Amino acid sequence: MKKYILLSLALIFTATSCTSEFDEMNVDPNNPTKISAQYLLPYALERSIDRYWGGRTRFERLNLDGAMLWMQYLSRNIYSNEGDNYGISPAMQNNNWQGFFNDGLVNFQRIITESGPEGTTPNANYEGVALVMRSWLFSVMTDMWGAIPYNEALKGTSAEPNYSPAYDSQEKVYEGLLNDLKKKKKKLNPAGPAILGDIVHNGNIMRWKRFANSLRLRLANRQAAKKPAESRAIMREILSDPVKYPIITANADNTVLRSTSVLPSNNEWHQVLIQESRTDWNISSTLADKMNSLNDTRITVYATPVGGKYVGHANGLPDAIATTYLATSSGVGTAFTRIDAPSVLMTASEVNLILAEAVLDGDITTGTAKGYFEAGITASFEQYGLTVPATYFATVGEVTREKVLEQKWLALYGVGIEAWTEYRRTGFPVLPAKDPRAVFENDGVLPTRLPYPGSEYSLNKASLDKGIALNGGADNMKTKLWWAEK
Amino acid sequence: MYGGGNGYRTWYSDGWSGAITGDAIPQYRAAYGPTAPLFGTDGTDESWGAPLDGRLVRHWWSGTQVAPLTPQPNNWEEYWETGQTRTNNVALSGGNDKGNFRLSIGRMGQEGIMRSNDFYRNNFKLNTGYNFTPKLNVTLSAEYIKSGSKNRGYQEGQQFIWSHRHVSWEQHKNYEDYTATHIQRALPGRLPDSDPPNWQHTFFTNPFYINDKLPLGNTKDRLVGNIALNYKITPYLSLMARSGTDYWSDTRINIINFERVRNGNRTPGQYSEEVLRAQETNSDAILTFNKTVAKDFSITSQFGGILRQNYYKRNFTRVGELVVDGLYNLSNSVPSLNTVESRIEKTEMQSLFGTFQVGWRNALFLDLTARNDWSSTLPADARSYFYPSASVSAVFTDLLNIQSSILTFGKVRASWAQVGNDARPYQLNQVYRSGGAWNGSTPQYFENVTIPNSGLKPEITTGIEFGMDLRFLRGKVGLDLTYYNQTSRNQILGVEISKASGYNNRILNAGEIENKGLEIVLSGTPFKAANGFTWDVAVNYARNRNKVIALADGLSTLILHQQRGLNSEARVGEAYGTLFGIGFERSPDGQIIYSNGLPVVSTTPRILGNIQPKWTGGLSNTFTYKGVSLSALVDVRIGGDFFDEGTGTARWTGQYEETAVGREEGIIGKGVKVVSTNPDGSAVYAPNDIIVAANQLYGYNNPRRYHEAVIYDGSYVKLREMTLGYSIPEALLKKYMIRTVKFSVVGRNLAILFSNHTHIDPEVDRFGGNRQGFAYGELPNSRSLGFNLTFGF
Repeated sequence: MKKYILLSLALIFTATSCTSEFDEMNVDPNNPTKISAQYLLPYALERSIDRYWGGRTRFERLNLDGAMLWMQYLSRNIYSNEGDNYGISPAMQNNNWQGFFNDGLVNFQRIITESGPEGTTPNANYEGVALVMRSWLFSVMTDMWGAIPYNEALKGTSAEPNYSPAYDSQEKVYEGLLNDLKKKKKKLNPAGPAILGDIVHNGNIMRWKRFANSLRLRLANRQAAKKPAESRAIMREILSDPVKYPIITANADNTVLRSTSVLPSNNEWHQVLIQESRTDWNISSTLADKMNSLNDTRITVYATPVGGKYVGHANGLPDAIATTYLATSSGVGTAFTRIDAPSVLMTASEVNLILAEAVLDGDITTGTAKGYFEAGITASFEQYGLTVPATYFATVGEVTREKVLEQKWLALYGVGIEAWTEYRRTGFPVLPAKDPRAVFENDGVLPTRLPYPGSEYSLNKASLDKGIALNGGADNMKTKLWWAEK
Repeated sequence: MYGGGNGYRTWYSDGWSGAITGDAIPQYRAAYGPTAPLFGTDGTDESWGAPLDGRLVRHWWSGTQVAPLTPQPNNWEEYWETGQTRTNNVALSGGNDKGNFRLSIGRMGQEGIMRSNDFYRNNFKLNTGYNFTPKLNVTLSAEYIKSGSKNRGYQEGQQFIWSHRHVSWEQHKNYEDYTATHIQRALPGRLPDSDPPNWQHTFFTNPFYINDKLPLGNTKDRLVGNIALNYKITPYLSLMARSGTDYWSDTRINIINFERVRNGNRTPGQYSEEVLRAQETNSDAILTFNKTVAKDFSITSQFGGILRQNYYKRNFTRVGELVVDGLYNLSNSVPSLNTVESRIEKTEMQSLFGTFQVGWRNALFLDLTARNDWSSTLPADARSYFYPSASVSAVFTDLLNIQSSILTFGKVRASWAQVGNDARPYQLNQVYRSGGAWNGSTPQYFENVTIPNSGLKPEITTGIEFGMDLRFLRGKVGLDLTYYNQTSRNQILGVEISKASGYNNRILNAGEIENKGLEIVLSGTPFKAANGFTWDVAVNYARNRNKVIALADGLSTLILHQQRGLNSEARVGEAYGTLFGIGFERSPDGQIIYSNGLPVVSTTPRILGNIQPKWTGGLSNTFTYKGVSLSALVDVRIGGDFFDEGTGTARWTGQYEETAVGREEGIIGKGVKVVSTNPDGSAVYAPNDIIVAANQLYGYNNPRRYHEAVIYDGSYVKLREMTLGYSIPEALLKKYMIRTVKFSVVGRNLAILFSNHTHIDPEVDRFGGNRQGFAYGELPNSRSLGFNLTFGF
C-alpha cells in the first residue's frame, strides 16, 4: 500500500509544484501601471470642464440646473424643482464632489507627482499646467462648498496615505491657491519642454501663464474685502510687470475648451438640449428684461427670438404655470447649443471687469475704471463677433461698482458658476422681486452654497463636522461663505 | 382619473410639448375653452392632464381628428402577454456488469410576458462507465448545452410609471396601423421626425417597436465534460484521478438604436457586439481509505490534490454610427465613433486536502478535514493558506439507549469550520485605465480610483454551528434546530473612502464581519387515516443578522450600495443595511413640517430604515390519498425596508389613483407648520392648513430628491406554490409496457395574502447580493401555472 501512497503523492506533487508562475500570471494584462501625462491631461481637462460647464447627467447638472437658473439667466418650463425653485437632488452635491475629486483632481495630482522634479518623467510644463488646473478646480469647489479638504486632500496613494482628510477653511484654501499659482510661474516656460494632449491651449504655454495670472487676479479680487493688504499686493505685483506676469488681454487668449463635432467630445449643452432633445429651459425674464432695456445686442447670441422678440419668464414657477411658457419664451441661443460650442473658464472681458472693480476699490492704480470697464464690455461683445452699439456706453451710464458687476453678470452668460459666486460675494446684480406665482424652497433664499455630499457624512464624519464648524454655519444652502461682503 | 400631460390639459400635438397652431386651435378651444393657454403638454411624461370625461381631444393615433378622452381599464392586461415555458426531456439508460450508459436530450423553450421576448436551451448529455477489470473503472461524462435568445431585452415595467394614463397599449402594439395618421414634429429648416408612432416622443419610444426592432439577442455554447479513472488498490483503498473542463462562449448582439430623426436631429443606427469566452479546468487525484475496524468503528479517510485553472476573455465593440442602418456588422461603421474594450483574466489555484471520519456504532461520528490552497491572485507571501474543520454528531437516543414512545429519535451536532478565500485577480498594483479618446483621436487614460493592495491576505471565515434533530411519536412530529455564527476575518472588499482622498475605494482585508442566525423547522403528520389519507405539515422560521464588528484602518462605514444619493450602509457595531438618506424635517412629535404648504426637506442625510427582515418563514401542507397529492406552500417575510423608486415616481407623475385626490380643489399636506417662535428659540407649531396644487404636493414623492417618501415596508405573506399531482397505479399500466405515468399541475406565486404595499409585490430586489433593498420599475413578478407529464418505461 505504501508504494501507492507514494505514487499518488508524487502525482499530487507534480501538480502543485509550479507556483513560480503565479507572480507573472497576476500581472494585469489589461491596464498599464505607467502612463505618460499626455494621456492623463486630456481626460482630466475634459471631465472637469464638462462637469463645470454642463454637465450632461440629469440631477447633477451643476451649471444648467444650478448656477444658470439661480443667476436668472435661464428659467425652467418644467421640473422647476430641479434647481429652479432652489431645490436640488442629493446627486447634485454627491456626484459633483466625487467627479471633481475622482475624475479631475486625482489625475491633475498624478501629473504633478510624476512630472515634478522628483517624479518619474520630469517636465515642468506638464507640472505647471496641472498645478494651474488643480488650483482652478479647487477654487471652483471652495466657492461652492466653503471649507473643503485641500492640504490633506488627494493623498490616497501617497507614501503616507490619508483616507479621511481634514477640511481647511475657505480662507486657508484661498491662501494655498494663491501661493500655488505664484509657484507655478517658475514652472510654466514657453521655451521649456513641449506638452501633448493639451486640448485647451494646444500646448501654448504662454496662454497657460496668462490664465494662471488672471486666475490669481480673480481670487485676489474675490478676497479683497477680507484681506485687503495681501490682495492689493498680489494685484499690484501682477500689473507691475506684464512681461513677467502676462494676463488675458485679448479674446484670442481666453481659456476655453473648444468642443468638437465627434461624439462624445461635443459640448455639454449640445448633448442635453440637442442630442437628448431636452426642451426644459427658456431664457429668464430677468436676463431678457435687463438686456432689452439696455438694447444689448448680445441677447441675439444668448437667446433665440420668439416672434422676432426676446422674452423670458420668471424663475421658480410651478410646473403647471411654467409649461405654458415653453413656446412663448425665448430658448437658449444656438451659439451655446452648437455641437462644438466652447466651454469657458476665463475671458479677457472678465479680467478687464476685475480690474475695473479693483480700480474703484483702490486696490490698483494702473489704468482707469472707465477704461477697464469699457474694454471689458467691448471684449464681451467681440467674443461673440459683435460690436458694441454706438449708444451702449451712454445707456449703461457712469461706471460704478454696481454697474461693473452687472456688466460682469451680462458678460458671464454661460459661465454660471463664476456669476453665482460673484453675486454671493457682492449682492450684484440686484435681482428683481420674485414673481408672485413663484414657489421657492430653501425659505426663498437664493442658494449660498451646496450642502456637503452624503458620502462625507458616511465616510469622513469627524473631519466633516470640523469643516462645517469652519464655515460658521449649518450645512445647508443658506450659510454665507467667507468672502461674502454683505 | 386624469389623462397625460399637465395643467389639466391633455392634447397630442406632435409628441413634444409646444404651441398649438393652425387647424388644431378650434378643436382645442372646443375642449378647453377660450382662455386655456394654446400649448400642448404631450411631451410631459406625467398624468396631470384633463379628467377622462369623454371630451374630444387629439390623440397620438387620431391624427388631425379628435376622439373622446376615456379611461383605459384594461391597460395592464393589454400590455403583457401570457408567457410560456415548455420543457421536454428524454433519457435512455442501460447497463450490465461491464459498464453503464445514460443519454439524455432536453429542450426548454420560453416566451416572455413581453412581446418578442424569448429564450431557449437545448442540452445533450452522455454519462458512461466501463469496468476494464474488477479493479479498474473509467467514467466519462459530457454535456453540450446550446442556449440563446432572439431578444432577452425587456426586463422592466417602467411604462406604468411614466406613460400617459389615457393611452391604450393595444393600440400601441398595432403601431403600424397608425403610421399614416400619426403626427410627427417637423421643424422649419430641419429634417422631419421619423420615430414610430407612440404616446409621446420626448423621452420614450414605443416599447413594442423597441422589442420588435431593437432586440438584445445572444447565442451561448457550453461544453462540460470530465474523465475519471477509479482504481481499487485493495478492498479498502482506492484511487481516483479525474480531469474535466467547463468551457463556454457567448456572443451578444445588442441593437441600440435605429436611424431616426428626433426633434429635427438625426441619430444614427447603433449596435454593440460582445463575445465572452470562459473556461474552468479542474484536475484532481484522491486516495480513499474506507474500512470498518474492530467491531464498532468505521473509518473513512481521503487525501488528495486539486489543480484549478480559470480563463476569461471579453471582446466588446460598440458601433456609434452604422453606415447602412439595419446591417449589423462591425465593418459597417464610422470607425472614429466605435468604442472597443477587451479583457483577459487568468487565475490558478492549487490545493492539497485530507479528511478523516470515524464512526462508532453508526451513532457517534467525528469528522476532521484540513486543506491548504495556493492561489495566484494573492501576493507571494500570502498565497498559501490553511483551513481545517471539525464536527461531531451523536444520535443520543441510540447512545443512551432511550426508548421512548414520545422521543423516538434524537441527534445533536456541533461543528467548527474554517474556509479560506482568495481575491479576484489583478488587485495588487495601481493601474491606469483607458478613458476613450478626445475628438476620436487623442487617447485618454485615467488613474484607477480603486486603490489596490499589494499586501493582500487571504480571507478566512470561521463558522460554528449547533444543531438538533428530534423526532417524536414515531416520526409523526419532527423538530430541527440550527444555530450558526460565521465570522469573516480579513474579508476582501472594495471599501468606499472619502472621495477627497482622490480615490473612490480601497481593496482591503476589511476587519471582521459577522453573520449569525437561527433556523427552526417543525414538521409533523397531524392526521393519517387507515385508508391511506395523510396530512403532512411543516413550519419553518429563520432569522439572520449581519454585522460589521470592525473595519480596517479606522474606517467606520461600509457602503453596500448607493442609489440616487441614498446609501445602504453597514456601520461598525450598528445594524447591517441601514438606509441613510435625505428626509423631511419633523416637529418634536414626529410630524412633517410644512412651509408654504409644502414639506421642508433636510439638507443633511439621516437614518431612514433598514433592509434586514425581522424574520422569514413558511408553512407547507400536503395531503395525499392513494395516487393523488395536493400541497400548498405559504411564505412569510416580516420586516425589512426597501427604497422603491418606482412607486414614488408613479405618485410624482400622477399615475397612481391616490393622486386623483385634490386635483381640482387643491390639497393640504398632513403635518404641521411653524406659526411663531418661543422666546427660547423653539418653534410653535399648528396643523398645516395651506392648500397647494395636487401635483406640487405629490411631487414630494420624487425619489431622486426625497428619499424618505419612498421607503416602504417589505413584509409579505404569499401563497407561494400549490401542486396537485396524480400517479396512475402501476397495475393499470403493466399491459402497455409503461412503468410509471405521473401528472401534476403546479401553480407558483399564486397570491399575496398580506402586504403593506398598495402597489407592487414587495418581493423585489433590483441588484441582489449585498445590494438588497432597492426597486425601480422591475418586470412584475408573474403568477405561473404549469403542467407536468412524466412517463417511465
